[in-house]
Amino acid sequence: MQKRNHYTELEDFLADKSFQLWVLSKIDEQGWEEWTLEKQQRAKLVEDARLLLLAMKVPAHKISSSEITAALQSTWLKIEVKENGSKTIKHNSVKYLKQYWAGIAASLFFGLISLWFYNNQFNINHTDVTYKELIEENSEGLVEQTNNSNKPQIITLSDGSSVLLQPDSKLSYPKIFAGNERKVYLCGEGFFEISKNPKKPFIVYANEIITKVVGTSFRVRAYSDHPNVEVLVRTGKVKVSSNELTGNSKQEIVLLPNEALRFLRKDLSFNIITNITEDKTLVSNVGNIEQLSFEFTDIPVVQIFKTIEQAYLVEIDFPKDKLKDCHLTTSLSDQPLSEKLKIICKSIGNDTSFEMNGNQIVITSQGCN
Amino acid sequence: MKTQILTIKTYDDHKLWRKLKAGDEKSFSLLFEKYYGDLINYGNSFSPFAEKVQDCVQDVFADIWLYRESLQEPNVVKAYLLSSVRKRIARLYERDHIFRKITTTDSIEFLFDFSIEYELIDDETTAERVLYLNKLLNDLPSRQKEALFLRYNQGLSIEQVAEMLDVNYQSANNLLYRGLLKLRKEWKGSFSILVLLSSGVL
Repeated sequence: MQKRNHYTELEDFLADKSFQLWVLSKIDEQGWEEWTLEKQQRAKLVEDARLLLLAMKVPAHKISSSEITAALQSTWLKIEVKENGSKTIKHNSVKYLKQYWAGIAASLFFGLISLWFYNNQFNINHTDVTYKELIEENSEGLVEQTNNSNKPQIITLSDGSSVLLQPDSKLSYPKIFAGNERKVYLCGEGFFEISKNPKKPFIVYANEIITKVVGTSFRVRAYSDHPNVEVLVRTGKVKVSSNELTGNSKQEIVLLPNEALRFLRKDLSFNIITNITEDKTLVSNVGNIEQLSFEFTDIPVVQIFKTIEQAYLVEIDFPKDKLKDCHLTTSLSDQPLSEKLKIICKSIGNDTSFEMNGNQIVITSQGCN
Repeated sequence: MKTQILTIKTYDDHKLWRKLKAGDEKSFSLLFEKYYGDLINYGNSFSPFAEKVQDCVQDVFADIWLYRESLQEPNVVKAYLLSSVRKRIARLYERDHIFRKITTTDSIEFLFDFSIEYELIDDETTAERVLYLNKLLNDLPSRQKEALFLRYNQGLSIEQVAEMLDVNYQSANNLLYRGLLKLRKEWKGSFSILVLLSSGVL
């Protein structure tokens, strides 16, 4: 019981809860007062420890119970938001979200969901799922596009969604999306901008991971020298699960803006990264398209086309003379390329249209109204 | 008696944790109410932005609820919470730095100052000595200060302090020891003689 009889150091006293209680709250449960007076040498040590404790006060900013209640409520709200995704975000708690992401909002690109997938070039063990296996599972009659060039290629899918396919990457997709889902298969890297259609979720199969969105834009990146698959979300809601082909029990993870996930291919486990910038690889892999803003306020159309050229690495041919005095105010952040062009053309005037042919885009126009 | 008190306290936290894990919202709320104040105070030692600290603390709790099923039961719930808050603030800082294109800082700094229990001091001599000690304490390197704070104000064990500061046991012990050593050295008076005596006993 009398552990304190062996106390020889200040530390012994400082760490003693009952001693602290006696000094700071004057509650003497164990008869410290008497005990101290037993020996003179002891009294000195006790006094020093006491002085030190008095000098070590933690200024407690008292938090009222109403503040705590409010904090608890906003925590439940956060939980709800994280559970229910973007819809709730918009309606209920824009405020909290704003606070949370205020630090990075300035550098936030424009409503993109970015996903990075990393392939493993090393020995592929039995649980690894390859692109080929994935394709074989599908019976929709897929078209495969491979980018063997040294610059990104734009692919427009039948639903209007666009994919900016990076070099050394391939994408398989059906000519027409039949059925209730839009499934594509990726090997490599691509930037996806999905046209919204809540009734037909868009699904990207890549390695062991299935990524599901309803309509928004995101990046899928698959370098062949990483043992992980990484998914990074900018805005909107993304559901990630492991492919049944891995033999793993199906686990679904919902990622919200600026959350990331690392899937370890070796042991098929998910690690949630609640802060994307913690991860230097993710941060350094930000592409052109994510850095450019598509919010235009009274900007010359010529400039808007230039931005699109930079973002998608396409060439836009347009009648410069006729459009040189046209200005636009528009928000094209969360739109696939074809949608962006459609909106621009419509804004310029009724007799303006566009045609896409691979990386070439031709705009025909009689000028703005 | 002391051990008894402690046992009840830890038992309570673990009981709450287990019920929380099973989906009991009441237990979650109780745990939140119990530690929210401490966590806010601790968080404020790192950041002058009170709102961000509140957000961090709330996010820590939100994640605990959301991922409760996959979370391991911590040895000491309070240590786990403090540590989670610290990590989250550190991440927030790193992120802000990245986005400001500034090289990342290794860790966040404990900007906290100890204050004085004036209410418990009734004579001038004591007041002077305490004031001097307080100054010495506050002049310590921030890591030593944080170690002392966690050990003696938050009642964590040396192991837990080590874990939180991401160092091994010996380093944590050294941090704590050096913190007080400096006080002993600089505080000239009967203090130092006594330390000599007591180290002789050891």
